[in-house]
Amino acid sequence: MLRWILVLWPSFLVAGIAEVVFFTVVNPQQLYLFGEAVEYSLIATYSIGFLAFWLVCAASSLLTLFLQQGPADVNAR
Amino acid sequence: MVEKTRSEKARVVPIKPVAPESDSLYEVRQKLHVRSVSGIFARWRWALVWITQLVFYGLPWLTWNDRQAVLFHLTERKFYIFGWVFWPQDVFYLAIILIISAYALFFFTAVAGRLWCGYACPQTVYTEMFMWIEEKIEGDHNKRRKLEEGPMNARRIGLRSAKYGAWGLLSLWTGFTFVAYFSPLEELLVAIATLSFGPWETFWILFYGAFTYIFAGLLREQVCKYMCPYARFQGVMFDPDTLVITYDEERGEPRGSRRKGADPRALGVGDCVDCGICVQVCPTGIDIRDGLQYECIGCAACIDACDQVMERMSYPPGLIRYSTENAVKKHWGSREILQHVARPRTLVYGGVLAAICIALVVGLANRTDLRMDILRDRAVLAREVGDGLIENVYRLQIMNMVEVPRTVRIGVSGLDGIRLANSEEVALPAAGTESVTVRVRAPRESGELGSNQIHFQLEVVGDASVRVREATTFLLTQ
Repeated sequence: MLRWILVLWPSFLVAGIAEVVFFTVVNPQQLYLFGEAVEYSLIATYSIGFLAFWLVCAASSLLTLFLQQGPADVNAR
Repeated sequence: MVEKTRSEKARVVPIKPVAPESDSLYEVRQKLHVRSVSGIFARWRWALVWITQLVFYGLPWLTWNDRQAVLFHLTERKFYIFGWVFWPQDVFYLAIILIISAYALFFFTAVAGRLWCGYACPQTVYTEMFMWIEEKIEGDHNKRRKLEEGPMNARRIGLRSAKYGAWGLLSLWTGFTFVAYFSPLEELLVAIATLSFGPWETFWILFYGAFTYIFAGLLREQVCKYMCPYARFQGVMFDPDTLVITYDEERGEPRGSRRKGADPRALGVGDCVDCGICVQVCPTGIDIRDGLQYECIGCAACIDACDQVMERMSYPPGLIRYSTENAVKKHWGSREILQHVARPRTLVYGGVLAAICIALVVGLANRTDLRMDILRDRAVLAREVGDGLIENVYRLQIMNMVEVPRTVRIGVSGLDGIRLANSEEVALPAAGTESVTVRVRAPRESGELGSNQIHFQLEVVGDASVRVREATTFLLTQ
C-alpha cells in the first residue's frame, strides 16, 4: 500500500501544479497534436492533460522508488 | 613468490550475511478504532466542519448577476467569483493568493502548531464526518473492534454494507459538488435529470468521489503520516514558544492506577492514572505522553479526553494541554505564554502576511477591467497612401472584463498629425473580447525614418475613468 502511495501521490500533487501552470499559460485551442489542431472539447483536453502529467510524474516516482532499493534488496534476488 | 609460514597464514574473516532489510522497510498498519470524544476542542472541530462544508457544498448553489456566483468555468477560461470575472491574464492574483495561503500556514504554525491540520484540513474534516457515520451505524469503538474481529455473518455484512453505502453516497455528493465548481451546476442538474452526463464529468465525479471515500474512509491517518508534505516540514516553523499539545510530564509521572479518592502523593504517583484514553481517542494512534511527535496533527482530542478523566478524579484539568516548551520548563502561566506570542519569527511571518494581503486588496481595487493587446499586421509594414501620409495597420484585441456590454473609443498619439483612418468606436460584448483592425496614418516628416514609438488609448464611452494605454511602434518609410 505504502509503495502505491509513494508512486501515485507525489506524482498527483506535481501533476496538479503542472496542469494549472501549463493551461494557464497555454490555451488548449492553440495546441497541435501530431500536426493537427486539437479538436477535443476543452474539458476533455484538460482531463487528458492532467492524466498525462500524472502518468509521466508517476513514471518518475516509480523509477525513484526502484533506484532507492538498497544493495541488500538487489542482492536478495 | 614468498611462501607463507603457517603462522603467517591469513586470518579467516567469517562472513555473516546481514538479514535483508527490505521486509522491515514498511511497517504494517494496525487498523485504528478511534474512540469518539466530546469537549471544547471537539466542539471547535465540529464548528469548523459545519462552516467549511456549508461553504463547500453550498457555494455552487448561489447565484449572482444571473449566473452561478462562484464558478471556475473551464470551457470559457474564466473564473467567476461573485462580482469579479478573472481571466487567464489575472494569474497574478492566483499567485498572490497562494503566497498568502503559504504565509498564513507559516504564521499559524509558528503561533499554535498544527491548527490547520487539527481543525480545518479537508482530511480531518471528512474523516470526522466519515467517523460520525461509522459510529452511528456500527456503534462505538469497542463494538466496532468486536465486529472487525468477529465472524463474517449476516449482521456484519449488513452493517458494513450500510456503512459503505452511506460513505459512498456522501462521496458521490462531494464529487458532484466538486465538479459543479468547474462546470455550471444548472447543466449538471439537467444532466442528472436526464442521466446524460458527459464522459469527463462522470469521470471527475467518480474520481473525486473515490478519492474522498478512500482518503476519509480507508486511509485516514495514513494520509497525514505518509502522504502529507506539510507534516514533514512543519517542524522547521516550530520553536520553544510555539503552542503545541503537551503532556505535563512533571505533573503526570510516575503514572499509575489508583482508587478514586486516594491521595497520589501518599502513593508516590503523579496525576496520570494511566487509563490510556488519550491513546484511544488519538486519530493517528500515538501516545502523546511520549512527547511531541510528527504524527500529532494537533487535534486536541487527547486534551478533551484527559480533562474529563481529571474531572472524574477531582484533579485540576490540563495534564495534557496547549502549552509551549518554554512554558512547561519555566512553569509559565497563560499570561507569559501570550507575551511570547510576539517574537521575531511570528512578527516576520505576520508582517509579510499583512503586507501581501494589503497588496492583494490594493491590486484588486485598482484592477483595470479593460485590456488591450496590440499586434502589428504582418503582411504590410508601412505603405504610402498619398498626401505625404504613411499608413500602418494593427490588430487590437480588446477585452471587456465586466459583465455589461460597453463601447470604447480608440485613440492614438505620439507623432504630430497621427490619426486613425477608420471608425474610432468599438462595441464590446459583456465579459467578452472583440478584435478590430485599425489603420493609422501619420505624415512622413512627423518622425524619424524607421521605428517610432506611439500609444493607443482606450476610453469607455460614458465613463472617462476607465482608460487603458499601451505602447507600440509606427514605421515611417521614404
